[in-house]
Amino acid sequence: MNKPWLKHYEAHVPHSLTYPEVPIHRFLADTVERHPDHVAMTFNEIHFTYKDLNERVNRFAHALLKLGVEKGDRIAFLLVNSPTYVFAFFAVMKLGAVVVNLNVGIQGEELARCLNDSGAKAIVTLDLFAQGVYAVIKKTGVKTVILHSVFGLEKKMALEQGVPQPLVFQEVLASAGTAEEPGGRVSPGNVALLQYTSGSTGAPKAATLTHNNVVSSVLQSETWVGISDAGNAAVLCVIPFFHVFGMSACLLISVLKGYRMVLVPRIDLMDILSLMETLKTYQPLSFPAVPSLWAAILSLPPEVAREHLSSVRVATSGGAPLPRWAHERFEELTGRRIVEAYGLSEASSATHFTPYPRGGPIGSIGVPLPDTEAKIVDRETGSVECGRGEIGELVVKGPQIMQGYWNNEALTSSALRNGWLHTGDLARMDPEGFFFLADRKDDLIISSGFNVYPTEIEEVLRRHPKVKDAAAVGVPDRIKGQAVVAVIAVKPGEEADKQELLKYCKDNMPEYRVPKAILFMEEIPRDPAGKILRRIVRQDAMAL
Amino acid sequence: MNDLLRELKIKVVEELQLKEVDPEQLADETPFFDGGLGLDSVDLLVLVAMVDRDYGVQIFTRELGERAFITLSTLAEYIAKTRKTK
Repeated sequence: MNKPWLKHYEAHVPHSLTYPEVPIHRFLADTVERHPDHVAMTFNEIHFTYKDLNERVNRFAHALLKLGVEKGDRIAFLLVNSPTYVFAFFAVMKLGAVVVNLNVGIQGEELARCLNDSGAKAIVTLDLFAQGVYAVIKKTGVKTVILHSVFGLEKKMALEQGVPQPLVFQEVLASAGTAEEPGGRVSPGNVALLQYTSGSTGAPKAATLTHNNVVSSVLQSETWVGISDAGNAAVLCVIPFFHVFGMSACLLISVLKGYRMVLVPRIDLMDILSLMETLKTYQPLSFPAVPSLWAAILSLPPEVAREHLSSVRVATSGGAPLPRWAHERFEELTGRRIVEAYGLSEASSATHFTPYPRGGPIGSIGVPLPDTEAKIVDRETGSVECGRGEIGELVVKGPQIMQGYWNNEALTSSALRNGWLHTGDLARMDPEGFFFLADRKDDLIISSGFNVYPTEIEEVLRRHPKVKDAAAVGVPDRIKGQAVVAVIAVKPGEEADKQELLKYCKDNMPEYRVPKAILFMEEIPRDPAGKILRRIVRQDAMAL
Repeated sequence: MNDLLRELKIKVVEELQLKEVDPEQLADETPFFDGGLGLDSVDLLVLVAMVDRDYGVQIFTRELGERAFITLSTLAEYIAKTRKTK
């Protein structure tokens, strides 16, 4: 295969890597051996060394064994970035069980569907999210609930009969008895993660990722940056670990390199403010973020932004294209470039990066990582390769690509064809071998780096007693890339106000899906087949 | 104070691109979050940047944020007070 992009690889990046046949937790074992006293993570000014971390991981693994967790069992995580996530993640890995990563914003039917689809046996969460878990637990097969108690809310919950009593994480950890390695053999080919991702149909689907997939992905990204002299440098962990970008760029690269993770949990809105203090205090080497966060920080007065970003040698942006002004502002302030990454849950994390540290052409998602093949194929059949510069569907192949969608052969065979992952993203490759995203094949909205499918919003809105029909579209937004606008047709005889509907949205969907504005229409325009005419809806939304 | 509040309403609407909101119609006690403007965390950071850039007031901690970002009027009061004492 012709790979015109190889000429853009920096001198430190080989065209191909050797991947060790190891499970993910080998990263932790190696770092504990090399740097036991490096600070592994800092959370609310509490610090854990790698030795401390490994001891707690082992204790939690033993506790899970006592609770009956076995190899292959699925353990759901509904957790923000916190020490609990890190302890639980590596404990589950060491037992050969499977982490089911869930977005903390999901609730109700969507949460129940993910728990059922994965067959999760246990869930690890925070007391803050417990009410949401217990609201659906009877509809699921979850037998064990482990809560990290932040506010002691578990004591105030009135539980229905027949549901499992919550176990408090801190007590479970203390009861483990031993901090020895739990033993047992985990094969690198075993499933490590089920990564839930949005789907255009609104039904949950989980990318099935093995230890090999994830290890390969982390090594590809780490080699791309290739920093070898940073000691116990800090990585600012704002991107959630439940997202593959955060899991790879924040959690796993840190553990592989022996870096200090500075955890920013984002439990509530105000948590984002501590980010500024944290940047100044911990002077991170690496700061992975989504474009909206970069745009917000780079809107600060230049001297303030410069002061806060002065230590950041690896500035990464992913999830959506970073606007030109943000690229230029960062370079002006720091003399460095923001590196853009493109990836997806189905690829464990990244498939493309712009060269580090040089950066790539603005607007480009970069070039394929080592051992990653990429091509543009026609969007109708997906089988004919397009010419240079021609727009088609981006397909990728490499060791980081998932095994398929969990329990869903139909979707798997449509997404994975002869080893090529069909991403659903429209893109082009320029004559130099740089890739550029064009648009989506479907109606995906990307807001603040999160994928939002209109159906996910429309289904919720249609359940509101006053709503007859609803449509959601994306409109351009300077900071978030795109913002969601919902268009609503109210039932005859009903009156609904925007505030009431927005509150309903906030109560029933994650923050990033909540519409920025609501428009009313008498009827949602549909074609004769009943399909929403989004082009028309979008025109009205844009005219706001 | 009234002038500051009026100016702040215009800036908030502009910064957040709240195209369907008329700043003149915004009540002084409009909350930033629940039931009010309905901001998310990125919006909050955008307003923090605006307040720093345009008024030289830094709200970089949770404690300060919880005090200032309740309603439009609490933010105006916070800016007025902090600017005076600078």
